[in-house]
Amino acid sequence: MSDANGGGAVVSGLVQARSRSLDDVVARRHVIVCTGAGGVGKTTTAAALAIEAARRGRRTIVLTIDPARRLAQSLGLSRLDTAPRPVPGVDGLDAMMLDMKRTFDEIVERHATSPDRVQRILDNRFYQQLSASLAGTQEYMAMEKLYDLDQTGRYDCIVIDTPPTRNALDFLDAPKRLTDFLEGRFLKMFLSPGIAAGRFATRAVGVGTGLFMRAASRVTGAVVLDDLAEFFQSFEGMYEGFKQRAQAVYHLLQRPDSAFVVVSSPEPPSLREASYFLRRLARDGMPTAGVVVNRVTVAPGGHVGAAPTAELMEAAAALNPDDDIERATAVLLELAIEARAIVGRQQQAIEAAFHGLTPPRLVEVPLAGGDVHDVDGLRWIADHLTGATAA
Amino acid sequence: MTTGARHWRPHLAAERKVTHLVDARTLLDPRVLLVTGKGGVGKSTAAAALAIASVRTGRRTCLVEVEGRQTMRALFNTEPWDFDEREVRQDLFGLSIDPEASLAEYLAMFYGARRLSRLVVNSTAVEFATTAAPGIKDVLLIGKVKEMERRRDPDGRFVYDMIVVDAPPTGRILNFLRAPEATTELVRVGPIREQAQSLIDLLLDPNRLRLQLVTLLEEMPVAETAESAQALTELGVQLNPIIANRVLRPQADAATMKVLADGIAADTLQTVLAGSGFDDPASAHALRHLGEQHLRRLGLQDEMRAALHEGVDVPVFELPYLATRSFAENEVSLLADVISAAVS
Ligand SMILES: Nc1ncnc2c1ncn2[C@@H]1O[C@H](COP(=O)(O)OP(=O)(O)OP(=O)(O)O)[C@@H](O)[C@H]1O
Ligand SMILES: Nc1ncnc2c1ncn2[C@@H]1O[C@H](COP(=O)(O)OP(=O)(O)O)[C@@H](O)[C@H]1O
Ligand SMILES: [Mg+2]
Ligand SMILES: [Mg+2]
Repeated sequence: MSDANGGGAVVSGLVQARSRSLDDVVARRHVIVCTGAGGVGKTTTAAALAIEAARRGRRTIVLTIDPARRLAQSLGLSRLDTAPRPVPGVDGLDAMMLDMKRTFDEIVERHATSPDRVQRILDNRFYQQLSASLAGTQEYMAMEKLYDLDQTGRYDCIVIDTPPTRNALDFLDAPKRLTDFLEGRFLKMFLSPGIAAGRFATRAVGVGTGLFMRAASRVTGAVVLDDLAEFFQSFEGMYEGFKQRAQAVYHLLQRPDSAFVVVSSPEPPSLREASYFLRRLARDGMPTAGVVVNRVTVAPGGHVGAAPTAELMEAAAALNPDDDIERATAVLLELAIEARAIVGRQQQAIEAAFHGLTPPRLVEVPLAGGDVHDVDGLRWIADHLTGATAA
Repeated sequence: MTTGARHWRPHLAAERKVTHLVDARTLLDPRVLLVTGKGGVGKSTAAAALAIASVRTGRRTCLVEVEGRQTMRALFNTEPWDFDEREVRQDLFGLSIDPEASLAEYLAMFYGARRLSRLVVNSTAVEFATTAAPGIKDVLLIGKVKEMERRRDPDGRFVYDMIVVDAPPTGRILNFLRAPEATTELVRVGPIREQAQSLIDLLLDPNRLRLQLVTLLEEMPVAETAESAQALTELGVQLNPIIANRVLRPQADAATMKVLADGIAADTLQTVLAGSGFDDPASAHALRHLGEQHLRRLGLQDEMRAALHEGVDVPVFELPYLATRSFAENEVSLLADVISAAVS
């Protein structure tokens, strides 16, 4: 009904996207980043893509972030272990659990100028807060790890999961935010108004630095300045190394043999987030491979799936409620009616979300009967992702 | 065309009996409900349903969104929500709090000159404050909620009888709730420090505020809910009965479910449906599959329900899965019906 009034081009864009699977992505891309809102199946998708890449003879590793307990077990991982481990029963596949806090500590260790400094930073209360709460930090740490793995040259294909975040976009900004932060822009502004005055004045015309300082200190009261000052002093000399690396990570992600796979559920909120994310990736010139709509409800086959709903209702109503089998059959027809309502709602939501956007690929993965937590379950998902089984 | 309805009427999910009715009369008791849960489980939906149910009990209610995602605007099909509380439905007010606006209001409250503070805020002050002490953002949000909770009209009555907050997800809720305390550690003097203490008082008073966990009867949400319930209890906040959302109900009475569980052969289905237009083999196959899937999902859900009851010692209140063509205010209102029935 939506294609009746001139939406033809848009619809055909989606039709084309739907006609392509992630088959070639699994076969050829070097880095695959799975991203999307929380709970939609990023971790599952990442693991499934990795299993498929390994099946095709590529040396593969999957970095997972918060796998369900049984999935972690199937991948041969335990929470305490953050080293790459071979996945039992899958040749050529390693899996690795990512601990974001640990990664941040490692970066500090790598870039700090002396062991003494490392310890001072790690002990700093401010650092502890920062590593947990600066927006995008966690996501960025995942990308750092990705870069490390790439540098080892041991893998043809690196599949990476991203943490569940409020804002799936944060990590693209994270390197900049982090370096800005570490360069102490805020601190300098706070401690020595003179230095910052020029920059600040151009940003907020008409409001003097002194006024800003007064406002800022009113807001923060007296933030423990010692902690802050020490923190920035400890980071002195690290900025350059840090910045260069952030750049390198960014460029790795931008390479044409990298791929972003945006995972979504078929519900409007996560679809909205997915479409927002597609736009954002495009803006940053990131190589978007496509969208995975996971856990979709599949339309029933046969006439039951094709006939008008009213006919199904009629057929159900015509059955004899006093006969066990007929009554049960009516219930099955009712299940079909419900399934079709859900299919309708989901498909409409998908069309609405990607209206005017043309993701290169759009793949649907059906809702499985149960949780997906073993290699067989992941292969089932992978078959849908690569088009070996149509959804 | 549905003349046969006298024989058999498809019963919509929402009309079905709530089979796992717990004592949920306390659901709407506190004055502030912070609704949280794993991403995507239906926090916003539950928050909206609770707010609607609250209005129906005659309470003037405010529904608050804190992450600026405009979920409620989409749900209620209204203008975008912003920092000005507005009546979106009779006695139901809507507000979207963002930290920038809270900060501006806060500065204006303490120092006057709203226009000026907005300017300052729009510069880098917020970025500064929130980066230097990340909890400040959360303190400002909770501070706004507290202000609304305490606010009285000229004749001394509370302006809002109920405030329902679509709060951050469980992954962030602990930091969110700890923010006032963390702030008292980082900020030793000044107005924020003083305010932080009064926020801690609000968070820990079970008569004023409770946490509303929302979950699905699925493995990961249940595990996360159990963990959060424990951590929240340790923190000293009071939990409301937990809401399990999107709960699938058996499609029929026990006897009929038994017939389904025994399985109906494809050719039997074809015979029963002969002449209805649905006696093709593919339809029989699809129907059998739907039946099996339905039973399997119910089985899994039972396991997860058991795991949830084992993991938390708070009552669980279930909201049905609505298999409707769309999901909007009307559906939320159906969920509110279920809540209304439980609290009356
Ligand atoms: N009881 C229900 N029956 C059927 N569908 C539901 C039900 N509750 C929620 N949904 C669907 O799930 C979607 C997600 O719900 P909602 O936005 O409330 O989740 P959320 O927990 O707030 O998500 P987020 O973590 O992204 O904020 C809704 O848009 C709706 O389509
Ligand atoms: N297609 C599917 N069908 C059924 N369950 C699924 C499917 N995909 C994922 N799941 C389940 O959903 C839950 C969340 O998946 P997960 O991959 O951990 O999400 P995320 O990483 O996005 O938070 C897991 O329990 C997983 O088994
Ligand atoms: Mg995950
Ligand atoms: Mg929400």
